Amino acid sequence: MSQLNATITAIQKQDSLHIVTFNAQGFELHMMSLELGSNVIVGANVLLGVKASSVAIAKEFSGQLSYSNQLDLEIQNIDKGTLLCSLQLKSNGLELESIITKASKERMSLQVKGKVTALIKSSDLYIVEIL
Amino acid sequence: MIKINIHKALHGVNGEMSLDVNLNIKKGEFVALTGASGSGKTTLLRILAGLEEIEGKIELNTSHKHAIGFMHQNEALFPNMTVLQNLLFIAKDKELAIHLLTLTNLLKLQERYPNTLSGGQKQRVSLCRVMMQRPEILLLDEPLSALDAKMRTKLQIDILKLHKEFKTTTIMVSHDPSEIYKLSTRTLTLENGKIIKDGNTKEVLLKTQGSQKFSFEGELLELKEVDVVVIAIVAIGQQIVEIVLSKEEAKNLKVGTNVTLSTKSFSPSVH
Repeated sequence: MSQLNATITAIQKQDSLHIVTFNAQGFELHMMSLELGSNVIVGANVLLGVKASSVAIAKEFSGQLSYSNQLDLEIQNIDKGTLLCSLQLKSNGLELESIITKASKERMSLQVKGKVTALIKSSDLYIVEIL
Repeated sequence: MIKINIHKALHGVNGEMSLDVNLNIKKGEFVALTGASGSGKTTLLRILAGLEEIEGKIELNTSHKHAIGFMHQNEALFPNMTVLQNLLFIAKDKELAIHLLTLTNLLKLQERYPNTLSGGQKQRVSLCRVMMQRPEILLLDEPLSALDAKMRTKLQIDILKLHKEFKTTTIMVSHDPSEIYKLSTRTLTLENGKIIKDGNTKEVLLKTQGSQKFSFEGELLELKEVDVVVIAIVAIGQQIVEIVLSKEEAKNLKVGTNVTLSTKSFSPSVH
């Protein structure tokens, strides 16, 4: 799980369903959620979480994607396994881990210092705690 | 409205403790009372039923002297009377008795004697019998705990039907979250004689971890490093589950400790 410090900038609501917008080190992020706690309000500082296996990677991508969260980051480190690999991604003090298959890493020729876009569905992003 | 402000010294299994309860219950509310055994739940019900001496005050604002119906876990029917006679013994109101037996689909059993009924049927007849006194306040002390799952569901439906039809204020002791969710709108949690939680049933029951609403407590049984990930094996109740973690996530976990597993409500599928 990667953790990101963020501030809530907007909350949209439809019955018990919510879309919460955050600012995390200049990146705009969106989270889909059911009921929100009473302390989840615009202006609140939160710790966001996302599972490393829920973070997809795009490189030199052009076109449209439905992912609400698209973060341009740099690969800091690659931990290579037999089938999988873990990428440590960073930009502006924001750190994120992505676990993808090794085959994808090879196919995309991902290298340390390479620029990529991390993709997170808004339904995969969650609040770990209110700070 | 029931107003309760009471104090009673108890000699519980964990030594001396005092039951201190100060709360208001609205007319027509369905309140679940939960908490560990020995926390004072049954005593509180007995106090409301007027069966225990107390310091303090209870205001029931009821209009008749048999306003309180009390049903225990194992209610005994009169063995020498039929189902219908058992009901009529409480109040000579055949119309009401037939109405109750019809509501609970027990009408065909009206001429049967208790020893020919199953445990669940006896409990359902007992519930009808309690309703014969047209209670304004219905106290249920784990009325379903001795029943199998199918019979539980039937009796839960009966309880809800009667609660609505007779507009009783109902207070039920229960340990079963699904039952509490289905029946009650408000849940009180007792611990060592004090109410430690009082709120909307869904809010009290829903375990959350931040904004993650799919949350369980479990025991971490094993951590296995596979490739660049770690597989955690966790026991939740009778169930064993596997979770894939990154090495970073697994770093501070210790086998044998209790952990909370959580994910977003969007992830699980239902079959």
